[in-house]
Amino acid sequence: MMVLKPKTDFAVTVEAEITPELATMSVEEASKFKVYHGREQVSLGELFEITKEGDDKKLVLEGDFSRVKWIGARMEDGEIIVKGSIGAHCGAYMKGGRIEIEGDADDWLGAEMSGGEIVVKGNARNLVGCAYYGDMKGMSGGRILIEGNAGNYIGEKMAGGEIEIKGDAGDFIGTEMTNGVIIIHRSCGFAGGDMKGGEIRIGGEFDLLPSFKKGDEGYVGDINVGGKGVIRQI
Amino acid sequence: MGIMNLHIKNGIVIDTKNGIKAEKMDIFVKGGKIVQESEIEGDVKVIDASNKLVVAGGVDMHAHIAGSKINSGRTMRPEEMRIVRQTAGKLRTSMGRVLLTSPAIGYEYAKMGYTTSFEAASPPIGSLHTHEELDSIPVIDKAMLPVFGNWHLVFKYTAEKDTEKMKALIAWAIERTKGFGVKVVNPGGVEKWMYGGNVTSLDDPVEYFNVTPREIITELVKATEGLNLPHSVHLHCNRLGVPGNYETTIETMKLVSGFKNDERQVLHVTHVQFNSYSGSSWRDVGSGADEIAKFVNKADNITIDMGQPVFGHATAMTGDAPFQFNLHKLLGAKWINKDVELETGAGIIPLVYLPKNPVHAVQWAIGLELGLLTDSDKVVISTDFPNGGPYTKYPYIMAMLMSAKMREKEIANASPYIQKATNLPSIDAEKTLEETIHMTRALPARILGLQTKGHLGVGGDADIAIYDLNPLEVDPSTEYEVVEKALSTPIYTIKGGEIVVKDGELVQEVWGRTYWIDAMSQVSTEVIEEDLDDYFTHYYTIQRYNYGVEEAWLRAPEKIVVG
Repeated sequence: MMVLKPKTDFAVTVEAEITPELATMSVEEASKFKVYHGREQVSLGELFEITKEGDDKKLVLEGDFSRVKWIGARMEDGEIIVKGSIGAHCGAYMKGGRIEIEGDADDWLGAEMSGGEIVVKGNARNLVGCAYYGDMKGMSGGRILIEGNAGNYIGEKMAGGEIEIKGDAGDFIGTEMTNGVIIIHRSCGFAGGDMKGGEIRIGGEFDLLPSFKKGDEGYVGDINVGGKGVIRQI
Repeated sequence: MGIMNLHIKNGIVIDTKNGIKAEKMDIFVKGGKIVQESEIEGDVKVIDASNKLVVAGGVDMHAHIAGSKINSGRTMRPEEMRIVRQTAGKLRTSMGRVLLTSPAIGYEYAKMGYTTSFEAASPPIGSLHTHEELDSIPVIDKAMLPVFGNWHLVFKYTAEKDTEKMKALIAWAIERTKGFGVKVVNPGGVEKWMYGGNVTSLDDPVEYFNVTPREIITELVKATEGLNLPHSVHLHCNRLGVPGNYETTIETMKLVSGFKNDERQVLHVTHVQFNSYSGSSWRDVGSGADEIAKFVNKADNITIDMGQPVFGHATAMTGDAPFQFNLHKLLGAKWINKDVELETGAGIIPLVYLPKNPVHAVQWAIGLELGLLTDSDKVVISTDFPNGGPYTKYPYIMAMLMSAKMREKEIANASPYIQKATNLPSIDAEKTLEETIHMTRALPARILGLQTKGHLGVGGDADIAIYDLNPLEVDPSTEYEVVEKALSTPIYTIKGGEIVVKDGELVQEVWGRTYWIDAMSQVSTEVIEEDLDDYFTHYYTIQRYNYGVEEAWLRAPEKIVVG
């Protein structure tokens, strides 16, 4: 297990594509890992205090990481525990392993992830499990659980996996999704625009688009694109 | 570094235009030109090219490298820009997977030993944009071909069968656009697309204009030959991408049987792979490459380029908007459609060629069949960048044409459907290194009418590529990996006498010329004045005095006067 603590409050954002792989290195090696602080490339050790306890593939991030981006991007296994809040793009392109965030998550949580699990105890912002601009596919596997609320654009172009939000969500839920499941326990705005497949389950109120038809299982659509997606009231 | 005298010593030179077949010789460069040894005086930089291949810089005669089309493609595909090839330092940032930024286009050509490229289709009204972008492409020399095949004025003079007016229009338009020749894209078909249609044969009439594709092509060839432009009509045939289209392609080629030009072909048919399909649908699509190659080999006035797809990412972009719509329906991918007032249209769509996809594999096989079965003096290597994939794969295509063994290996990874739908698996022909050098240098230069390109004779431009390959020792048939790697990473690329690439790395940025053709002295534009005024007053959204590009606006224009 490796523990990282910021040495200062970051005035500009840090881009640190670190994964639990870091915990397999010695403290000395890990300190040399290159990250960006604003536009400057620096060593991880210059920005964070790094300590190591045991060899398990686990990263613990203590302190304020809300301006640190790309944590856990492309990770394949192991575990990351974030004691506070996390910056944007956390768990993007993730293939496996687990990320637990005790605070809030910023935009692009689990974007284009294909496996593994992300749990957020607080709230998440926009673009959870979405496709990056221009790409054809968003999240395609794995699971994202958000205990609090989430913002707009949830699971855009989603092609598999599951996003569960215990609280409310904003507009544009499952836009252009083709597969997978989005569960929102409370209310949200417009859902399922141009969805071709998959399922959106909503506990509270939501805005239904006129391009959905009421069927036995729920609302089926989006008929504008010949979609067979389902929006179902829990 | 500046332009210096160069002495390229002991290289093994292949220069097909001057009949040099892998001979050990020295090349001398002064003032950006190739000269006799006796002309060199003062300081000389000696480059030791012992046992290395020395050839002219490559010439890409058909690529989409500048203009509104490629820029719309970039806008539509932000995902392309996540591939950073080079961060800014001494040189500029260069980005893109297949859709490259302007600096990347120049850099990547240079890094492959290519020094000239032609933008193959520019809407005349968009020519200023095209030149702005060409002027942002470093290193290479360039030119652009304005499109004529769906221009209402062209329809008008086709219907009137008035060659003098057509000649005046072509000369005027090429002067105004600072263009190089006559490009024709799906003549008549793009106009019909404005009403949701397309042409299905050479004899489909275009509503309201009373013309057919057959007449449009014939009249444009007649006028182009009348003007004796350096480059012939450059044709993207009707029915592109439609199974069974190879018959239309052959019928189109027959249209020029009565034309002859001593200097060059009278018709260049481009990216023929997309127009060489047999069958009646994508379920039974097959190759018509054999018949096309036979026809081209027999004809003495037609040349083609391959339009070879390479497996991986590509972006289809063409003035053939109806074809792009079909592709959009087929793939379900995002799509841009453009209507260019009175002149043409365009479509753009992303795609990926997958080896296991039967249709893609057939397209890939057909391109190679065309390259292998057509005379090396009549077929140019192209990917129709970015339609068939990146031009950075030209060394791969060259290696494939030279090695049956390499093809066998690649065929094993492709869909087995090509076994019955194409002849590729049974073709054991292999082009020689000399032939593939010809197909990428002297031949495209001759087809374009560029006297100083594609060869290393005295008076030629000092555009030179030196590769780590000894043609006297290498056997491309078995050592295809060595050949592909060597042709992908020149030891030197020299542009206009300046070293721009050394050991595969860019060392400096230089700026090339933009060629354009002035044929105005051959025509009297008085015959079309009234029509031009009428069109600009009543139909164009801009006034005539705002139309076109002045020479002074270009970074380094080079006018070629015809007649």
